[in-house]
Amino acid sequence: MSSVTLFEYEAGEHEVEKASNSYLMSLIALIAGLPFPIVNLIATLVFYFSNRNGTYFVRWHCTQALVSQFSLLCMNSVGFWWTVSIIFGPEILSSNYIAYIITIFLFNVIEFIATIYTAIQTRKGIHVEWWFYGNLTNLICKP
Amino acid sequence: MKKVLIQGLFSLLFFFAIWFALRQIDWMSKLNVEQTTKLTEEKLGNIIWDAYDRTDTEIKNEKINISLDSILTKICTSNHLDKSKIKIHLMQSSEINAYALPNNHLIINTGLIVAVENEAELCGVMCHEISHIEHNHVMNKLVKEIGLSFLISMTTGKGNSEATAKLMRLLSSTAYDRKLEKEADIQAVDYMIKANINPTPFADFLYRLSLNESSNVKYFNWISTHPDSKDRGKYIIEYCKNKFHRNKSILRIETWKEMKDCLNNK
Repeated sequence: MSSVTLFEYEAGEHEVEKASNSYLMSLIALIAGLPFPIVNLIATLVFYFSNRNGTYFVRWHCTQALVSQFSLLCMNSVGFWWTVSIIFGPEILSSNYIAYIITIFLFNVIEFIATIYTAIQTRKGIHVEWWFYGNLTNLICKP
Repeated sequence: MKKVLIQGLFSLLFFFAIWFALRQIDWMSKLNVEQTTKLTEEKLGNIIWDAYDRTDTEIKNEKINISLDSILTKICTSNHLDKSKIKIHLMQSSEINAYALPNNHLIINTGLIVAVENEAELCGVMCHEISHIEHNHVMNKLVKEIGLSFLISMTTGKGNSEATAKLMRLLSSTAYDRKLEKEADIQAVDYMIKANINPTPFADFLYRLSLNESSNVKYFNWISTHPDSKDRGKYIIEYCKNKFHRNKSILRIETWKEMKDCLNNK
C-alpha cells in the first residue's frame, strides 16, 4: 500500500512538522467527514491552499493527503446519499447496500491506518509514498 | 503516467471486486433484517387496522363472511398459499374498492360485491389484492411513498392520528406503479387458473368499470386508482388465452345470490 523512498533532499525540522500536520488534518477531516463526506475534502483543500507556497516536501505531502481524499469522497458520498434515500426516500434496504457500506468501511479503515502511519513517519522525516496516490502526486507536484 | 493509470484502474477494480464478493453474502438474513421488517409490518398493520376499525364499520354477517372465507380458502389451497396469514375484512362502504394493508389485511368494501356481476369477477379482484400481499407490494409502496423513517416512527408510537389518516388514505386511494399492477394482474390470472376460475370475467369487470368511470368516478375507486384499465383488461385476456380449461364455481348459485341480496338491502 505504501513504500518508503528517499526524497530529493533531506527535509528540515519545520518542514516535516508541517508535512505531518497535513495528514493529521486529513485524519481529523476523515472523522468529522464521516457523516458529511464533503467536509473531508474541504478541510484538506483548505490546508493544501494554505501551504501551496511552502517547501517542496510540505507541498508534496499536502498534495498526497489531498488526492487520497478524492476517492474516499466519491465512495462516502455514494454511501451517504444511498443511506439518505433508504431512510427518507424510495430505496429499500438490501444485501447490495449492506455490502457497499462494509466495503467503504474497509476502505475508510485502511485509509485511516495509512494516514496515521504516514503522519508518524513524515514527522520523523521519512518520505512515504502511497500506492497510486504517490505516483499521482509525483505527476501533479513538481519541485 | 501509464503506471498511474494502471494503478488507478487496479484500485478501482479492487474496490468493485470486494463489493462484488461481499454482495454474494445474504446480509438480509444474516443480520435478521427481514425479521425486523416483518415485526415493523406487523405493528404497522395493527395500527392501521385499529384506525380502520374505529372509523369504518366491519360487516360481521356469518353467511357472508363464510362465503368470502370459502373463496379465499379455494384460492389459497389451489395455489399453495398460507391462508392463515391473510385476514379478510368486509367493510360497509358504497365505494367500489378493495385493498391490502400491511400485515396481510385484505379489505373488501360492500360496494365492490354489489358492483360485481358474478363470483369470478370478485375472485379476480381478490386474487389481485392477494398477489399484492404475496409480493410484499404493500410495504414496498409505503416505503417508496412516505419513507422508512416515517414508518418506523409510527411503530415506535411517535406517529399521531394525522399520520395514521395519511397512511389510510394512501393505502386505500392510490395505485401501485404500473409494473407492480401488471405483476399483480398476471399473478392474479395464474391464481385464478389454478383455482379453476375463469379469468375472463375479471377482464370484463375492469373494462366495464372503465366505461362507467367518468359518470360515477367517486364510487369507482378501485378502477380510478388503477390506471389504464382497458389495457389491463386486454393483456389479461391475451395472457389467459388457451390457458384456462374448465370453470368450477366455488359458491353455490343460491349462496352467491343470497350474499348479493343481503348486501343490496344494506
